Amino acid sequence: MAISIGTYLPPWGTEKARVVGFDEDALTMAVEAGRLAIGDGATVTKVVFVSRELPLLEGGNTAPLVAALRLSQDVEVVEQIGGAPAVLSALASAMPGTLVIGVDAATSAGAAAALVAGSNPVSLVGRVQRGLPQRARHADGKIYADEDGRVMREMGVRGSIEAAELPGKPLVIAGLGARDAASWSAAGAPALPTQGASSVLFAIAALAETGQSGLVAAFEQAAFAAANVDVSGSTVRRIERPVQPVAKRKLNPGENIKISLPAYTRAFDSKVRWQAGKCTKCGTLALPPRHYCLGCGADDSWEYTPLPFSGTVYTTTTVHVPVPALTTPYTMAVVQCDGSDVRCLMPVTDVPPGNAKIGSHGRLALRRIAMRTGVPDYGYAFSPDLPAEGQSGGAK
Amino acid sequence: MRRVAIVGAGMTAFGEHFNLGFKDLVPMALSEALASVDKGMNRSEIGAAWLGEVGSTDGHGAGILADSCGLLDIPVTRTENACGTGQDIIRQAIYSVASGHVDVALALGADKVRDSSTAITFWEWMGITRDQAWDYPLGLIAPANFALHVSRYLHEAPATREHMAMIAVKNHFHALNNPKAQLRTEITVEQVLNAPLVAEPFGIYDCTPQADGAAAVLLVAEEHVHKYTDKPAWVLGFGLGLDRLMHQHKRDMTSFPSTIKAAKQAYSMSGLTPKDINFAEVHDCFTGVELITYEDLGFAEKFQGHKFVESRAHYVGGSKPINPSGGLKAKGHPPGATGVSQCVEIFEQLRGESHNQIDGVRNGLALNIGGPTAVTGITILGKDKPGA
Repeated sequence: MAISIGTYLPPWGTEKARVVGFDEDALTMAVEAGRLAIGDGATVTKVVFVSRELPLLEGGNTAPLVAALRLSQDVEVVEQIGGAPAVLSALASAMPGTLVIGVDAATSAGAAAALVAGSNPVSLVGRVQRGLPQRARHADGKIYADEDGRVMREMGVRGSIEAAELPGKPLVIAGLGARDAASWSAAGAPALPTQGASSVLFAIAALAETGQSGLVAAFEQAAFAAANVDVSGSTVRRIERPVQPVAKRKLNPGENIKISLPAYTRAFDSKVRWQAGKCTKCGTLALPPRHYCLGCGADDSWEYTPLPFSGTVYTTTTVHVPVPALTTPYTMAVVQCDGSDVRCLMPVTDVPPGNAKIGSHGRLALRRIAMRTGVPDYGYAFSPDLPAEGQSGGAK
Repeated sequence: MRRVAIVGAGMTAFGEHFNLGFKDLVPMALSEALASVDKGMNRSEIGAAWLGEVGSTDGHGAGILADSCGLLDIPVTRTENACGTGQDIIRQAIYSVASGHVDVALALGADKVRDSSTAITFWEWMGITRDQAWDYPLGLIAPANFALHVSRYLHEAPATREHMAMIAVKNHFHALNNPKAQLRTEITVEQVLNAPLVAEPFGIYDCTPQADGAAAVLLVAEEHVHKYTDKPAWVLGFGLGLDRLMHQHKRDMTSFPSTIKAAKQAYSMSGLTPKDINFAEVHDCFTGVELITYEDLGFAEKFQGHKFVESRAHYVGGSKPINPSGGLKAKGHPPGATGVSQCVEIFEQLRGESHNQIDGVRNGLALNIGGPTAVTGITILGKDKPGA
């Protein structure tokens, strides 16, 4: 009876609010958090991906999500539009093996995921579906906002908490501003970096790290949910690099670079699931896989083998001239995968341009490499380790 | 196999020919080449022709050569082998003559780079020359393609950006006398080092400009050479080498294996060693590429290219002049034409007619590296008939 939690914050923005990198979206952040929650080889039978910033409404977020998390292709995936109450509800009703991911990619960006292993330690205490639509977002992305803090506080928050008839003050309330959250929750409630879908999982992560079990609540406008959470035996892994100002880059005018859908689809299992082709006769690796083995000359005799998510820069360059439809300057590197003779040319992420040096070690993170005729083209990017630590992220 | 010599060579000026189309530049280069034949040649004597073109301007390249040059009665083939195209069409023309199939062959290279806007030209070309799934979306533009090599080279070798700058300065200096060169201005090491960055470690002065142009050579079988000239440039050797296509598959990026392979072929065929080469026209699309090429060709020891630069041996007047024409850096680089224009320079040097004449020249080597550093073409020409 435990949950395994992963949290991810993009390294850009301010202490108050993180923002997504130019190469990130809700899907890449979902993968970051999801991979940390899954850890080493836990079984996942269902994924619930909750966000109000799903990158695509049609055309597929699930395939790259499942591939990058290296899940079986028959896993059930629910793509859900929602905020913190939706995530808490999904977690409370999750069967063992369910991975719930909440992502915020618009304001105060971040992602968090929880994998239920064994019986579910989250039990719903109350749910209130009340409407007080101070913010209304349309399918075209347009937002209508009439935000009046007092109306929301008195009519929305107070109204929903009273309606829920909670047994006591929650240990933490997700989805509210810091001041409101503090006034409605028990003393010593942890501060949360996000306010949307991911916030309630950040809240549970904070409780798990301090060993506090109890009542957790979540708001989205006036919608409310609360649950009892038993954090015993839970684990938390975080990738939360120190925040830095958004690097100066420019998206150059020009049409999206073209996509060949057959080429995209052929490369997908290698590029997104991060696998090389391994010769079944002699074991030689090839990235991307080759028809003709360079080791033994075997024809079309290979199977996929997973590649490590870390490596060292063999060489690098930073492009400064404007390239149409790309964001410049950008850095790319040929990265030697750890413990493998496989190298891959990839973009550098998480640091301002020009900050990957030959010999730098880092991890490989899923990023949106390019937009191609409207289709996000995902692949791996090199994230240099922080100078002081050996490894960035990892278990805390 | 018959021995083969170049009896005529010509080129248009390289530069931004906004008022000239591909269909103008191609016949201009052929007319210049024909006019350079000492005893005269009629175009109807050409038995086969190759057009080298890397981009694609105004459509079917072979058809354009045949149509615009009045060569409708002979076979014409278009070849694209990235920036190795120029040397490759010469190699194919040599085969046709050496084999006895034709007595006179034309190799004509041309590109019209400036028919599209400067910001998008090479990016558009990348769209058709890069792996669609893996490399293209990364923004692996041509300078980045070479910068990945040169970054690693600078990491392992004692050379610095200053040595690269000295190569740019030298090539600009050589171009001052070349009426066909695109950039005929002297520059300083400081200017190169302080110029805006393109793709690290290359600044703008480390990079070739974008040029239009065409160049042509006429290749003739040994028994017919005397009909055309008493001062031919004999083909002593040639080679075409390839390397892994993707950068992640190149184990040692401090050299260009395609060059080492092409050089081995060309040296072995000519019986010459690096020491024997009097001068060379090499591929300096980016300064660091010329630096690495000194080593790949055996003109300098591994990681000692910077000493070759410091010695100034690479200037006209030095012991091994490199790029007396100004190179791609200053003469310009219309990719299909570049390799052929290098042989135009060698032809003129061997005949004592160059704008930057090197004393006592008996041979010269031309080299292009192309694609994602995956192909190198080399041609060695000499004053003396091989094996004679």
